[in-house]
Amino acid sequence: MPIHEKTLIRPENLIEHEELVLDGVDVSGHWSTFIESRTVTDYNEALQEEIAALPGGENIHRCWQCGSCTNACTVNAINPDFNPRYWIYLIRVGMEEELLRDKDIIWQCVSCNKCTYACPRDVFPEGVMKATAHWLELKGYTEKKPSMIFDEEFTEQIVASGKIEDGKVLRRFFQKTGQPLMQEWLVAMVRGLVFRLPVSLLMKMGLATLFHPRTSGWDRSRRAMEDYIDERHEADRKSLGLDMKSAEMGAE
Amino acid sequence: MTKPVLIVGGGPAGLSAAQALAAAGQKVEIVEKEDQLGGAPILSGYAKLVPSGEWAKDAIGGMVSRVEGEKLVTVHKGVTVKKFSGEPGAFAAELSDGKKIDAAATILATGFTHFDSINKPEWGFGTYPDVVTTTQVEQMLSSGAGVKCPSDGREPERVAILLCVGSRDRQIGRTWCSKICCTVSANIAMEIRESLPNCNVYIYYMDIRTFGLYEDNYYWDSQEKFKVKYIKARIAEVTSDGKRLIVKGEDTLVKRPITIPFDMVVHAVGMDPNVDNMTLSAIFDVKLHHHGYIDKASTYASMSGTSRPGVFVAGAATGPETIDDSIAQGQAAAMAALAVARPALEAAE
Repeated sequence: MPIHEKTLIRPENLIEHEELVLDGVDVSGHWSTFIESRTVTDYNEALQEEIAALPGGENIHRCWQCGSCTNACTVNAINPDFNPRYWIYLIRVGMEEELLRDKDIIWQCVSCNKCTYACPRDVFPEGVMKATAHWLELKGYTEKKPSMIFDEEFTEQIVASGKIEDGKVLRRFFQKTGQPLMQEWLVAMVRGLVFRLPVSLLMKMGLATLFHPRTSGWDRSRRAMEDYIDERHEADRKSLGLDMKSAEMGAE
Repeated sequence: MTKPVLIVGGGPAGLSAAQALAAAGQKVEIVEKEDQLGGAPILSGYAKLVPSGEWAKDAIGGMVSRVEGEKLVTVHKGVTVKKFSGEPGAFAAELSDGKKIDAAATILATGFTHFDSINKPEWGFGTYPDVVTTTQVEQMLSSGAGVKCPSDGREPERVAILLCVGSRDRQIGRTWCSKICCTVSANIAMEIRESLPNCNVYIYYMDIRTFGLYEDNYYWDSQEKFKVKYIKARIAEVTSDGKRLIVKGEDTLVKRPITIPFDMVVHAVGMDPNVDNMTLSAIFDVKLHHHGYIDKASTYASMSGTSRPGVFVAGAATGPETIDDSIAQGQAAAMAALAVARPALEAAE
């Protein structure tokens, strides 16, 4: 009998015994092929609430699975596996394992918001994608991508002084991602700058590198930003039931 | 004074016809087989009605007391029509208690019968006490007892409502949509969520048919305000693991089989033709259509007509119907009956 819906069979669900004899009959190898059940045996009811508690995910419970978001999606046009409608459903009914299978593509949302304008129920799918990516990160399901490490370094400097210092951003980024500072393209670029930029500007940049000047009167802004960031981190982790100790780590 | 109009059935359609006729000064005789007027909403103990949100005992109870207080209306309870003959303007009916009624016209407002879930044994009704019908949940709500698992009285933490039980199913000869169950189920789901906030409610559907203004007021509100979850799956069977009910089916959106534990399963039962329709058809000599409801004459040619002149029909006797539309049809039938009962109105002036 032919196997229908072959695409639904996952490699990890295929079981084969290299050597197996049943009732005296040798069924070794593919003769013993068995496909494990794909049955969903329970709903994780916390999942929707967790996503809904993160910024952007608030309206996920409105979804009625029309597929307008996926039809409108920029990324879906390039990668058919990028399917917001499907993920929203998995979250709604709490199929967490199924969702995690796609953890490496969910973050690919480009926030074009075409789905936002297509959605007849104001689910705000772009926000849900953002919340879901955030959820994956908070839960520790996805490792930090280099771009995220860069963003964090950038943000930290802004919060600390109101300014960024390009050299420091690069140095710290290379350090955190384990890359050497002396990279061919960087050396070439710095050399080019030294030869081409006016001396006064080079002096200014040199001083900034040495003394890290801050935006004047920045302290109050810094405190306000830090308070908000802490508050947000705490709220996010609390809504996911994560402890506060790791919240501090997350805020770093 | 002209002869009275005979109304068979004292539910929303019959009551509204009686009220309309009495308001026009027409004498009415209501024959109700039960000991109480009000029809399904009263006899089956419905809770809050769609779309008014009023309790059935207040809304339909109000109709009952208005009709019972009407001088022109005579009510015969606990009896049925046994014999019926004559022609428009001169019908003769004999009741089961021997009483005879001469009527100018007749309105059949004989309603429907709730689908008996025992006819879908795979869904566990009659086997597991915690499998109940929408009617039973209505009763739990209207009696004030609250939604509890019949097996041990505990409050359910997870409820499944199965739609289309006794509807849209060729296997059991019910090929129609019962029209109101989606809306009623959304309403019940909201009431469960309101009274038991920790109880999650899942509705298993093939399509959601909350038609017209029920769309946002029931379907959308149940999702948006009450977080009721809708799963596109027609359930294969309801079993038990000894502790909880197990609902099996295919989640069609993820193409995966599901076996999910539930505390309570609610059948959204459909509207069958009244079990008495074969008898009614023989007594009143009116045709039934192939679904088993009372056949209607062309809507465009004759208001509320049946296959027999002078005998009219209103409400769920003609097919699945809402309470509001049954009331409207009752008034339409009253108008048609009035035209037969007092044909010489204009000539008399």
